[in-house]
Amino acid sequence: MSSVLQLQRQFIDYTTSLHNEGYLDNQFTELQKLQDESNPDFVTEVVSMYFEDSDKLLNNLTTALQQRNVDYKQVDAHAHQFKGSSSSIGAKRVTNVCAHFKGFCEAKNLDGCLRCLQQVKQEYIFFRNKLEALFRLEQQILQAGGSVPMVE
Amino acid sequence: MTEGLHGFSSPRADVFPAGLRVLVVDDDPTWLKILEKMLKKCSYEVTTCGLAIEALDLLRERKDGFDIVISDVNMPDMDGFKLLEHVGLEMDLPVIMMSVDGETSRVMRGVQHGACDYLLKPIRMKELRNIWQHVYRKKIHEVKDSESHEGLEEILMMRNVSEQQSDDGYLFCGGDMTPGSRKRKDSEHNKYEEKDFADHSSVKKARVVWTVDLHQKFVKAVNLIGFEIGPKKILDLMNVPWLTRENVASHLQKYRLYLTRLQKDDLKTSSSGPKHPDINPRDATDKGSEPIKIQQNEAVSSHRTTNNLIIQNPKSTIHEVDIKGNAALQTIKPKKIITGYAAKTGISHPFESTHYSQFNSVLPTQYSWGGGFKEIQFKQENNNHSQFQVHNGCFTGLGLPAQQTTSIPSFQPPDPVIGPTWTLKQDPCTEQTSINTINNMERSPFLLQGQHCSSTTVDHQNKGVTEFNEQEFTNDALKFDYDYEYPDLWEYPVVGQGLFIV
Repeated sequence: MSSVLQLQRQFIDYTTSLHNEGYLDNQFTELQKLQDESNPDFVTEVVSMYFEDSDKLLNNLTTALQQRNVDYKQVDAHAHQFKGSSSSIGAKRVTNVCAHFKGFCEAKNLDGCLRCLQQVKQEYIFFRNKLEALFRLEQQILQAGGSVPMVE
Repeated sequence: MTEGLHGFSSPRADVFPAGLRVLVVDDDPTWLKILEKMLKKCSYEVTTCGLAIEALDLLRERKDGFDIVISDVNMPDMDGFKLLEHVGLEMDLPVIMMSVDGETSRVMRGVQHGACDYLLKPIRMKELRNIWQHVYRKKIHEVKDSESHEGLEEILMMRNVSEQQSDDGYLFCGGDMTPGSRKRKDSEHNKYEEKDFADHSSVKKARVVWTVDLHQKFVKAVNLIGFEIGPKKILDLMNVPWLTRENVASHLQKYRLYLTRLQKDDLKTSSSGPKHPDINPRDATDKGSEPIKIQQNEAVSSHRTTNNLIIQNPKSTIHEVDIKGNAALQTIKPKKIITGYAAKTGISHPFESTHYSQFNSVLPTQYSWGGGFKEIQFKQENNNHSQFQVHNGCFTGLGLPAQQTTSIPSFQPPDPVIGPTWTLKQDPCTEQTSINTINNMERSPFLLQGQHCSSTTVDHQNKGVTEFNEQEFTNDALKFDYDYEYPDLWEYPVVGQGLFIV
């Protein structure tokens, strides 16, 4: 029991810090609220979809910016898509970088775009790692027989 | 369409809003999943679609199967705004737009295209909980509209007031409408509608679902007699026993509104159109709207049953349909020019400046309606068109074919459904050549209605048709062939599909 409690405590603290540091926003909480008995793995499913999609989008972005004649409209379209999907799961920092990215696309600023690409990749990797850590914690709690606390 | 007088299409009206049938369209799979879950939690019945085209197909298949549509603005296969217009036109369902981009201009566009709401992503569940209000509101308004329409007509008849048009939205023209033409309309209304009034005024309107077939009949009838004649005549021609004049009247009204809107949009967006004939179809980012517009006009003209309203301005040669963005249009490339219409209608109005170029875009693609409603499309593209001016005075500026009372061009292409029959015939003599001229287009597509304009019978169509091809239409769009196959951009099957759609 104490280990479950500890795990739960850890989970709460970790979630809170993720929110505080801006990695997650309320949207993530909304997703957690949607999870229920009929859909017990809802959050992990959605997040996995996001990761898959993001990998593709990041590849597209990289390719688009590597072209000799960069098509900024295309880059912007990808950035827009990435922004949209990141906002769907509450990946706040990633979403914010995407917004800047779009600004550079509009200005056709290649340098700015390339920097944003780096930044967005980085934020995405951070985000991914943190979420995976969170999910691991969740699994541990469940395996220990406990329930995952809801953090508001 | 068998809804009760209350107009709730949901079979579970008794538990409304639970069971509200929602169609969600979003190319982002993550969002689609989330929205689905959220809507289910609201006790709604959810159907999801990752593509706009799929969504339209689904909506058309199950004509009365949905209560509301929620769609993202940015989708790869079709602009969300276009989808929005199509849905509004063909199915008359409330549509909510969503986007992660909340810029005022975008939201404005949404509203202009008829969205009943615009949500910003990330969307919270509580925002979705209340979407039923849009369904409810629409139902209430429908009933009101039909009733008020009757009332208006009655007034019109009795007092021969011409404002009715504006009230009803029939009058699209900005003001070019000459009093004479208005009166004409009024009297025509009087002629045709007088006797009906008494009969129908007490009948409560039950919601009628305008199926593809029904709409086609409507368009055919409208093409034959024009908008100005009035719902009664249209109703008679349609020969649908259970349909009432009010049904037709309100449908007509909506149709016209759509056309106007399309026109406006079109004009707006197409103004920047390509300067040279090469229309780049793919440009479109927002082209969607543009192309259609023109077509509409053009098509309209063809139909113009009344007379030869043809948009085609012999002079103006619509050249290249400026498809600016109309990717859709461009893809469409009608195979042939719809001569059918042209021939029929005997275009009479040579537009002076037909700048049909706009049509380029508009053409074919969308209009698969049976009658060529491209409404949706028209709307968009029409922006530019609004400028059409009919020589004979039939056309008035923007969109509203002012004079013609009916302003709404008859969309329905003569049978083959093929959308717009614009035979844009542009006479080579016209100076128009590139779509660029679209901007100059003075004629509003709607004006084609020629009802009043009968004068010039431009028979361009017939000749235009071939000429058209020669013109440098880059867009091919102009040529509509009855069978033309539109690229699936919008997936609208040209053939008589449902209502306004292609």
